[in-house]
Amino acid sequence: MMLSIKNLSVSIEGKTILKGLNLDVNPGEVHAIMGPNGSGKSTLGYVLSGRDGYIVEEGSVLFNGVDLLAMKIEERALAGLFLAFQYPLEIPGVSNLEFLKAAVDAQREARGEPMMSSKEFLQAAREACKAVRLPTEFLKRGVNEGFSGGEKKRNDILQMLMLQPKLCILDETDSGLDIDALQLVANCVNSQRDSSRSFIVVTHYQRLLDYLKPDYVHVLSDGKIIKSGDASLAAELEKQGYAWLVKQPGEEKSV
Amino acid sequence: MNTWFGNVLTRAEAIDDWLHEKRAASLALLRDTDWPTRKTEVWKYTSLKKLEQIDFSDGTTATTAPVIDTNIIPSLNSIDIVFIDGVLQSIPADLPEGLSIVPLTRVPEEHQSWVFDLFANTKPRHHLFGLINDALATDGVVIDVAPHIYIEHPIHIVQTMTAGNEAHCRTLVRVGAGARATVIEHLIGDNESFNTSFAEYSLAETAALEHYRLALQSGAAINIGGSHFNLDKQAILSSTIVGYGSDLARVDMDICHKGEGTVAKLNALYLLDRQEHFDLHSNIEHTVPNGTTDEKVRGIVADKARAVFNGRIHIHRYAQKTLAELNNRNLLLSREAEVDVKPELEIYADDVSCTHGATIAEIDKSALYYLRSRGISLEQAHLMLNFGFINELIDKIPNAVLADWLRQQLSGRFTQMNAIKRSGQETV
Repeated sequence: MMLSIKNLSVSIEGKTILKGLNLDVNPGEVHAIMGPNGSGKSTLGYVLSGRDGYIVEEGSVLFNGVDLLAMKIEERALAGLFLAFQYPLEIPGVSNLEFLKAAVDAQREARGEPMMSSKEFLQAAREACKAVRLPTEFLKRGVNEGFSGGEKKRNDILQMLMLQPKLCILDETDSGLDIDALQLVANCVNSQRDSSRSFIVVTHYQRLLDYLKPDYVHVLSDGKIIKSGDASLAAELEKQGYAWLVKQPGEEKSV
Repeated sequence: MNTWFGNVLTRAEAIDDWLHEKRAASLALLRDTDWPTRKTEVWKYTSLKKLEQIDFSDGTTATTAPVIDTNIIPSLNSIDIVFIDGVLQSIPADLPEGLSIVPLTRVPEEHQSWVFDLFANTKPRHHLFGLINDALATDGVVIDVAPHIYIEHPIHIVQTMTAGNEAHCRTLVRVGAGARATVIEHLIGDNESFNTSFAEYSLAETAALEHYRLALQSGAAINIGGSHFNLDKQAILSSTIVGYGSDLARVDMDICHKGEGTVAKLNALYLLDRQEHFDLHSNIEHTVPNGTTDEKVRGIVADKARAVFNGRIHIHRYAQKTLAELNNRNLLLSREAEVDVKPELEIYADDVSCTHGATIAEIDKSALYYLRSRGISLEQAHLMLNFGFINELIDKIPNAVLADWLRQQLSGRFTQMNAIKRSGQETV
């Protein structure tokens, strides 16, 4: 198993967001996580990536058999975990190229692979730009500096292509994308699918899932996975919303 | 040093050239000026002790002049003018049409009138070392760009000092109406020396000047100088200042909006280490309506270095509709690093927009997280973001060749700073 989350409870600023979440992901699988706003979808990505401020109250996470929660942020990335952000950050003053090179170098060093020459690296970066349809001039600019929302997300996907992670968590990468960009992102993700790479795709919409065809769809509500199914569950959610799954506060009492 | 100061007066009296009247006026002011102490406000944070400790005989010691590689910035394609110990080495032949460059020692009669007017005119009268430069700068360069001419190649003035020397030189630039040019004042070297280098610029109506002052003297090279500008109607100035610290370095910038609709963009950055000292005084005068000033100053101060930034914006009573912004941010990399910041806004008009901010910056935690989430170590992420802090201003430099070269120089200096620190920590 690649990722095994057991009974995970996480709080931020004293408020418990995840409340005993369980999820297993095998190599090569694509899992979609859907759910109403505030159910903890983004928290899951952040806590797995190691962001400060997310306190693990209970539970465990094994990533390829190793205790993920004991690792530093960069160690998790070097172990193969990648989070594409809902709102990728702008970092003026640090060029995309410099940033990508540092990240790729770190990955190669961790994997015991030889460093890329500047020429090889530039070639690879240009190809990745082409794949996500960002002009190569973007490489010279500050990380996401002055990029539109869609460009920022494509830049995150570009990083995914360059870093070749084992587990990719896409946090609402599809939000704010037009149909063309959505298809492009989906194509990039599909191009990376193989028997050893897994994806957790957090999304509100079925559209992206139509392209990705996930193996599993989970509904996250109030910090727990309340229903799991195959791709047809996404279609049902699109039709009926979440209300039929989510117990209303008054409902429990009347039963 | 008071002996030296006394000598300055004697030396100045001996100079008798066509600028005599101007020199005499400054000399008269100098006679009434006391040598600054810690109580002198404009020198409050910059001690002149290092200068006082050096014994310069009379500044005329002849040594073999080093050969300066004028091709310091490859592919800049510049028109190079070199000064060694304040002595102009040569002026390139074959200047483009509309550009005249002559030594201050041999200004042809047809230029003397405007040069005379510009000399000691844009530079404020209160600067002690400016007055000394007025009195002693016999050598220098005079640059004239004819109206409506575009000079494509940057004019690159390189100044350096040999050990044990003292020099005072002057740059005077006139940019004609509608003309466009780039001037780079580039000071280099780390020999024990003292130089004052002042430049005065006059921009005519709708003239555009791209200006750089690369105050890259370091080590024991004490340097005090300034660049001073008068902007006529709708003139545009874009200026970039880069400062290394030395035992004592001070740069004064004065920009005076004299005609309506002028635009001045000033970006300054400094990178200081060890016990280096860099002092930047900027003064912006808006005397007429509809002027714009955008001033951004950023610095990284490490170890026991000290930066001083005094940023004054003065909006006169009739300068309505002025837009002025001044922002200063400093990153301190050690507990003993120091920055003394003094923003001064004096606003006498009531319909203006003027903002200022001065802060000690901290590295953005979410930016650190973003870099680390891609596998970059905490230490490297810190280095990248710290350098990014000043690289943001390098990114804004209009000349791409110069920007690349400066990025390389500054990144080299930054890497060295951090390498020294790390090896220092290991031995502890």
